Amino acid sequence: MSGSKCARLSAALAKQVLDSVDSVLFDCDGVIWRGDQAVPGAPQVIKLLKEKGKKVFFVTNNSTKTRKMYVEKLSMLGFDAKEDEVFGTAYCSAMYLKTVCELQGKVYLIGSDAMRKELEAVGLRQTGVGPDHVLGKQTDWANVPLDPEVKAVVVGFDEHFSYMKLNRAMQYLTQPGCLFVGTNRDTRLPLEGGKAVPGTGCLLQAVETAAQRQAQTVGKPNHFMFDCVAAQFGVDPARCLMVGDRLDTDIMLGSNCGLKTLLTLTGVSTVADAEAHQKSGCAERQGMVPDYYVESIAELLPALQG
Amino acid sequence: MAGAFKGCQKIRGPQIRNLLDAKDFILLDCDGVIWHGEKAITGAAKVVNSLIRHGKNVVFVTNNCTRPRENYVHKFCRLGFTDVILEQIFSSSYCSALYLRDVVKIRGQVFVMGCDGLRRELDEAGIPCVEEADDPDATIYDCALAPDVKAVLVGHDDKMTFLKLAKASCYLRDPDCLFLATDNDPWHPLSSGRILPGSGSLIAALEVSSGRKATVIGKPSRFMFECISSQFSGVDPAQCLMIGDRLETDMLFGSNCGLDTMLTLTGVSQIEKAQEYRNSELSTNHSLVPDYVVDTIADFLPAFEELGEPSN
Repeated sequence: MSGSKCARLSAALAKQVLDSVDSVLFDCDGVIWRGDQAVPGAPQVIKLLKEKGKKVFFVTNNSTKTRKMYVEKLSMLGFDAKEDEVFGTAYCSAMYLKTVCELQGKVYLIGSDAMRKELEAVGLRQTGVGPDHVLGKQTDWANVPLDPEVKAVVVGFDEHFSYMKLNRAMQYLTQPGCLFVGTNRDTRLPLEGGKAVPGTGCLLQAVETAAQRQAQTVGKPNHFMFDCVAAQFGVDPARCLMVGDRLDTDIMLGSNCGLKTLLTLTGVSTVADAEAHQKSGCAERQGMVPDYYVESIAELLPALQG
Repeated sequence: MAGAFKGCQKIRGPQIRNLLDAKDFILLDCDGVIWHGEKAITGAAKVVNSLIRHGKNVVFVTNNCTRPRENYVHKFCRLGFTDVILEQIFSSSYCSALYLRDVVKIRGQVFVMGCDGLRRELDEAGIPCVEEADDPDATIYDCALAPDVKAVLVGHDDKMTFLKLAKASCYLRDPDCLFLATDNDPWHPLSSGRILPGSGSLIAALEVSSGRKATVIGKPSRFMFECISSQFSGVDPAQCLMIGDRLETDMLFGSNCGLDTMLTLTGVSQIEKAQEYRNSELSTNHSLVPDYVVDTIADFLPAFEELGEPSN
């Protein structure tokens, strides 16, 4: 990226940038909604972009919903969206296993029911989803029966995560040729009331440590999610804008794929964070510096309405 | 002490005898060194009993945190190590209790992720632990958090659940709440040759969620050696020999404490790995190289026979 980076997007500059792209990718949490509330003005931004003939996509690392469930949430919050515009990691992990890995065989799944559904939708069978209760005393942890058809271990967000699941995953992963895929590495999900929910990154790290192997992650900043979008919709990276709230996932994805990048400040990262990366002198960190930033995506409205 | 570049010396008979003459304290790991699961390694009981009879101070230093020391005494007896008493056993769970009681002098509760064996050691040391009383339907969104939790202690926990990880993460948000680990072993070998997820895998999850690093009590940290030194008089590192089977825990522990180290090949680590560490360009890897190597602890037996005393 030549020219200055991390520039505040004025209305005039916004018009220029929007005219220079045909597609816009939006992260969800912290960008178009926060929890169960739409960011004010966000639904209108999406609507106007589409009216102007732009393609709009929703790209999220959250693995707990199917595309269908995302569309339901989007509609409920007033967004105009279709299933094929949504790219969550449940869907993308299934696509990755099917199209890149060409997996023949079952998946041992640590993840949500949504992940199960997306796997089944591409014809992949799984075992392991849901609670894995140990009744009575477990006397032989290492000799748990293993399904011989399992050829991949997939780890996503799972509130039923337990030692038994960790153990099973590790046993499968010691078998030669067993694939290892993770949805994403997000460390935490914030909650009200001072609580924090461990993110998928924690569960993945537990399995990676026990198995002494690294998973291939599908979610941002890995380029696969963009590849999914591009393959289905013919997106030209040079005419595409990535809008997100996290420098290490959203902006990094944009940089990795040659997209223009816009940071919105309604979520996790701050301008100070971005400037710190910029001044660091470290080549790897430059990928986390956005081209532009706005306080909220509602700042795009004047450019879209004019 | 042998230098890092002279490490991995295979020794037998007379050399072992000479080595033993120079050492007062023999520190032994258990799993993979003197037994595999419920089966003593051939000759191990004779060796241990002989060491004790020849006036050596023998202590057992294990990262295994799943049983209280009383149970270990029974196991030693069951497997033929008849002269071993409670005071010779240093497990990471026992040492974690000592750490909380004597070093931290904890005031407030400890949130424990670990087995009953760990809890019993804490109870015996008078350390208050948060009671586990989770409703089967409780989730992090609606569960109560205990007040006054001043430490999170993590060990091998085969009852680990997402809720426990979430609770631990919440407690760790308080920078004044300590983050302790009995040990950091990523996996444990079983006698069958298979493995199990270890404490290290749970620690890794919490380090990611909290952004904090755990303080590890067990090997390779020095603390267990400090426990031993405080309970026996006149412990001189130069007169100690650490015998273990795992380079990353036992050998590094010995090196960290200034002890001579011996790798026995009946457990986790292979000689090739030790040689790899020796040839490594990273000087930190040299601390994982054993000074001496034996195929099995039973290689000590000829050393006793040569002394002209019956070895049993």
